[in-house]
Amino acid sequence: MTKTFIKHSWAEPYKIKMVELLHMTTKEERVPAIKEAGYNTFLLKSKDVYIDLLTDSGTSAMSDEQWAGMMVGDEAYAGSENFYHLEDAIKKYYGYKYIIPTHQGRGAENIISRIMIKPGDVIPGNMYFTTTRLHQELAGGTFADVIIDEAHDPDNLFPFKGNVNLEKLETLINITGADKIPYLSIATAVNMAGGQPISMENLKQLRKLSDKYGIKIIHDMTRVAENAYFIQQKENGYSGKSIAEIVFEICSYTDGATMSAKKDALVNIGGFLAMNDEKIYEEARNLVVVYEGLHTYGGLAGRDMEAMAIGIAESVNDDHIRARIGQVEYLGHKLNDSGIPVVMPIGGHGVFLNAKKFLPHITRSNYPAQTLAAEIYIDSGVRSMERGIVSAGRDKVSGKENAPELELVRLTIPRRVYTQAHMDVIAESIESVFANRENIKGLKMLYEPKYLRFFQARFEKL
Amino acid sequence: MSYKTIFEPFKIKSVEPIYVTTEEQRKEYLKNAFNNPFLLESDQVMIDLLTDSGTSAMSANQWAGMMRGDESYAGARSWKNMHKVIKDLTGYHHILPTHQGRAAERILYTLLGGKGKTFISNTHFDTTRANIEYTGAEAIDIPVPESLHAKLIHPFKGNMDVEKLEEIIKEKGPENIGCVILTVTNNSGGGQPVSMQNAKDINFICKKYDVKFFLDCCRIAENSYFIKHREKEYENKTYKEIAQEMFSLADGAIMSLKKDGLVNMGGFLGIEDEKLSEKCSSLLIITEGFTTYGGLSGRDMEAIAIGLVEIFDADYLLYRIKSTAYLGEHLDKMGIPLMLPIGGHAVYIDSKELYPHIPVDQYPGQALVCELFLKGGIRAVEIGSVMFGKYTDKHKLIPASMELVRLAIPRRVYTQSHLEYVIEVFEKILENKNNVKGMEITFETLFLRHFTAHFKQL
Repeated sequence: MTKTFIKHSWAEPYKIKMVELLHMTTKEERVPAIKEAGYNTFLLKSKDVYIDLLTDSGTSAMSDEQWAGMMVGDEAYAGSENFYHLEDAIKKYYGYKYIIPTHQGRGAENIISRIMIKPGDVIPGNMYFTTTRLHQELAGGTFADVIIDEAHDPDNLFPFKGNVNLEKLETLINITGADKIPYLSIATAVNMAGGQPISMENLKQLRKLSDKYGIKIIHDMTRVAENAYFIQQKENGYSGKSIAEIVFEICSYTDGATMSAKKDALVNIGGFLAMNDEKIYEEARNLVVVYEGLHTYGGLAGRDMEAMAIGIAESVNDDHIRARIGQVEYLGHKLNDSGIPVVMPIGGHGVFLNAKKFLPHITRSNYPAQTLAAEIYIDSGVRSMERGIVSAGRDKVSGKENAPELELVRLTIPRRVYTQAHMDVIAESIESVFANRENIKGLKMLYEPKYLRFFQARFEKL
Repeated sequence: MSYKTIFEPFKIKSVEPIYVTTEEQRKEYLKNAFNNPFLLESDQVMIDLLTDSGTSAMSANQWAGMMRGDESYAGARSWKNMHKVIKDLTGYHHILPTHQGRAAERILYTLLGGKGKTFISNTHFDTTRANIEYTGAEAIDIPVPESLHAKLIHPFKGNMDVEKLEEIIKEKGPENIGCVILTVTNNSGGGQPVSMQNAKDINFICKKYDVKFFLDCCRIAENSYFIKHREKEYENKTYKEIAQEMFSLADGAIMSLKKDGLVNMGGFLGIEDEKLSEKCSSLLIITEGFTTYGGLSGRDMEAIAIGLVEIFDADYLLYRIKSTAYLGEHLDKMGIPLMLPIGGHAVYIDSKELYPHIPVDQYPGQALVCELFLKGGIRAVEIGSVMFGKYTDKHKLIPASMELVRLAIPRRVYTQSHLEYVIEVFEKILENKNNVKGMEITFETLFLRHFTAHFKQL
């Protein structure tokens, strides 16, 4: 265990303009609250939660500029001015030619999957994500994981654990046939691997390979700016480049993107589908009307498109990203230094606890990560999320539980919301659960929904 | 209040500028929008009567609610507030939030629809029909016959033809009916109200054949106003009580909150049946969002909770219905052919009668919409053969039953002097009516073509 020295301050490049009061609870209140929620942190009421690390999605604090933008929301049904601002921001910072706003990221995933995937297709990607894979499957496709093996090892210190294994990918293309692969689904800052980045070099190689076989690359870009920060810090030749330049370069190696703007782009709601191909754009424009809304609002209020346009610009600011990831690393290193098993290196949007090592006495079938998330809540009111066997769901053919290598609890840090003192409280609480780990018992699943079971499954204590 | 003036029960707290344009500029804008006002940029428009959907001015109280929005991903306070208000209003067991009305429609109709199924409505709205047809099912409109005569005065022209309803159920077989949808008020049929008696009759027939009955209730407060003033036994009930009674007659409801929810974004699906609601929840999570936010931000849910209460205020509803009637009555007096009586949220113009020289396959409604923009910077919407027309196998147009143009009035946004400006523009429209030419479609899509089609003047 080595002490980590943090080189430069990550002090926030903002001050607080408005606050939301937190509700403090006692252990006597939390024990029945989590029981009532079926030991699923998703089902807790937010009033019973003290520090909410369930997700970094849609939970950011907006800037005063964004709030001002909310007031100039143009709510005209068609041709809203805010749409054009959004379009300009996406072209300027990401470089995609055509855009379609959607109410959130999964709206964009739904549309692109329906347009591009035919039954029997295979979609290779750098690790699955829950909603992305589900949309691919509902369109008749199958997801194939081509991430490098290092990604599945929580202790491996490789700096770009989001990379694609190019040999594995090429073999897959040769076996499946390029015509059965509608696109490569490439995420920046791979969520399920612990927020791990993909390198620019790997992206360049991917572009070459996909050009060779005539396959498109669709970029899941929800945390592209955080990925860019790791490239700036760790990849040769990028230390002198700005986050904005790196983000633009990343996008340039892809043909289109789905974006949940609820993460990097600092808004509470919104997303988009972007692409360079005019034909796909036309099909998407027709489909978006059925699912989301007219193509100049896509199911978003004008004000939310405005906040997104401003948020995109703020998200590629170097100081913002340094403070953002600095805070996540602060918590991660603090836990690591206390001997708590966390996924290393620390990712961009959260700290991932290795539940297999944290609770080695609880078997996989008794859901160690789900158990750990519930225990942390009981200890301090901190809400985290299971990312392991419960999230992975069942195999669509055999019906057996998918058991991914990683059994993690995600402590996701909302952007610009919590302070260093909050990070200290979180660390203290996890240390106290760790000290008491031998007395913790596993869970049994009582209710299991068919799709995306982690959202609504219910458990009881053994 | 016994004064003639329509009193606006609010004052202005925040304003948004309107840019005044010349006819020359507007000609250019319209050309760039391929003669389809849906494709105009909104700051090119002076008075935007395209829709009353999502265009309301929120109250100071709603804006304060926006600041209190709880953006937690799961179990947010704002959802609790929204849920409580909707539950109290509708009484339904299961309430699912959606990002807007069409998402609720898509979820419900995907589950109830499919090839071989039939949906029956007083009149399906454009997105409703698209959602149903997209599943492979058919959508049949059975408005009462009175509704097809624009000039005929009848208090409830939005009613469904209940005799026909029974015939169709018998003919198709109850098991093949996706559901019966009662749209209140009946938007495509001129914003005309539906009587409580009609809802009771539909309830009776649906119960008799064990067919599901859903309300599409995005303007239910406006409908309640008409029931209170036109259906004797309801004169002493509050608007909310009337709405509650109507909800109690159906098995569930779909609502776009962008209308009578007084918000810019939001919708919900209310369902009695537990099994159906579980299936709907699964679909909701896949395409909309988790069951406690459904693709809405916390602040929007907070604004909904407040808006759904404000909408039933008696002074507000009086102002709302009377100001729509004010515009309608003035146009009627001038000799503009209208759908009568004036509905709740909009004034509907019979463009076929205004422009008898333009045949329906040259879209007289689209011609009027363009003319309104050119002459006055007013944006309206065609509700006729562009929106609802179909083609035969030989690409010949099967026209819609009426060629209407809708002037939809956003809630709490425009003042009486804006409405007087609109009336003035119509004087110009009348002067120039014989010079107006028909339109031809040069580009269109398979579904919902009116949103994106391009037109050429003939």
